[in-house]
Amino acid sequence: MSSIIRMEQGKGYNASRDQKPITKEALPTLSGCNQTIIADELKDDEQHRDFESGLKPLWLRAQSGDELAYREALRLIAGRLRHYFRRHLMNLPDDVEDLVQETLLALHLHRGSYDPAQPVSAWVLGISRHKLMDLYRRRGRREALHEPIDGLEDYLAAVEPGETLANVDLRSLFEELPKAQRIAIEMTKLEGLSVTQASKLTGVSESAIKVQVHRGLKRLAALVRKEPK
Amino acid sequence: MKTDALIEVLARQAGPAPDFPVGRHLAAAAALGLLASSVLALALIGPLPAAVFYTAAPWIKLFYAILLLVGTSALAARLSRPASSTVMARAAVTSVFLLMLLAGAVTLITTPEGERWSALLGQTWWVCPWMLMMLSLPALTAILWAMRSLAPTRLKQAGFAAGLVAGVVGAMGYSLACPETSVAFVAVWYSLGIAMTGWVGQWLGPKVLRW
Repeated sequence: MSSIIRMEQGKGYNASRDQKPITKEALPTLSGCNQTIIADELKDDEQHRDFESGLKPLWLRAQSGDELAYREALRLIAGRLRHYFRRHLMNLPDDVEDLVQETLLALHLHRGSYDPAQPVSAWVLGISRHKLMDLYRRRGRREALHEPIDGLEDYLAAVEPGETLANVDLRSLFEELPKAQRIAIEMTKLEGLSVTQASKLTGVSESAIKVQVHRGLKRLAALVRKEPK
Repeated sequence: MKTDALIEVLARQAGPAPDFPVGRHLAAAAALGLLASSVLALALIGPLPAAVFYTAAPWIKLFYAILLLVGTSALAARLSRPASSTVMARAAVTSVFLLMLLAGAVTLITTPEGERWSALLGQTWWVCPWMLMMLSLPALTAILWAMRSLAPTRLKQAGFAAGLVAGVVGAMGYSLACPETSVAFVAVWYSLGIAMTGWVGQWLGPKVLRW
């Protein structure tokens, strides 16, 4: 599966990066955001129920180790996240796909925290909202230094729906991981070797490989959050 | 990297979801905090004479603290996961607080009028909440640290709950050295000290629990 690697190399660049940054004034205030988020959540009640009923059976299978179901569930969630973040990041459209990816990583790393007694959608939303607030906080500080831009509306109108490329290239962040973690991820996650095969090749125990993969992804999640733009 | 490729990476050989050790981590942190607050209380203030432990006073404090510990740790555990309901845990904590205040009020009413102020303020009312809070700080550090490894998404509330657990643990340590004997004193000043630790946690939560 080195095709993924090849496909992704050199794609960390996004033309919209050249856009001038956005002022703090263009950002909604934290409390204002909270209110619109809650209002939108109510408005989307019905849509939300469909999301839940589609996701729940997949998610339960995924939690017990069904890889296909997990992939399907993550795709569903990614679509939903894109929709959700796009609406709350009107002023920061460049950040949408990055935040989708950051949130997916967070969901994966904390998937043990899901309690089967609660709706999956509530759990996903809890983490997504947390990630959104975290981004507001980070942006609020950094963007405060910049000048306002003209023609923001035209720019916004030009953003078409569908997946946009993330600005932060996760593939290049892999390179920053410690060697053992990087190798464990590359073998089991990119090249598609089984944990047993990876263990034989590296001479490290299977549980150690799993630990390295988990630590590597955790580290990656931290790197994504820190990545300056 | 495209999001689809990331999903591929995450899903491949993901295996079953790992355990989420909320109880284990929080309990370990609270136990560590209890040890610290007890040692500090005995070292800084000194133990009560053994005879005091044959009276009801220390046991009332301990009983109150244990009841609160059940509710506050349930609250902290629920706030360590995204979206878990906290209604029951909050109700439990609030009712223990209120019951203790009620018990304090009742004992005050049954106290002869001239002794009410001394029952309420004791000898140490102005040190008690501060001392209790100080003895709680190691526990607060440990519990916030433990929470960081979990998945709190409501950071203020989670910090407040962590502070309450720490406050209760601090109260347990302080009860080994605190000379006060009246129920009303415990109801007011212990509760205040625990709440103060909660507020410190609430202030720290959004700062240290981010992920």
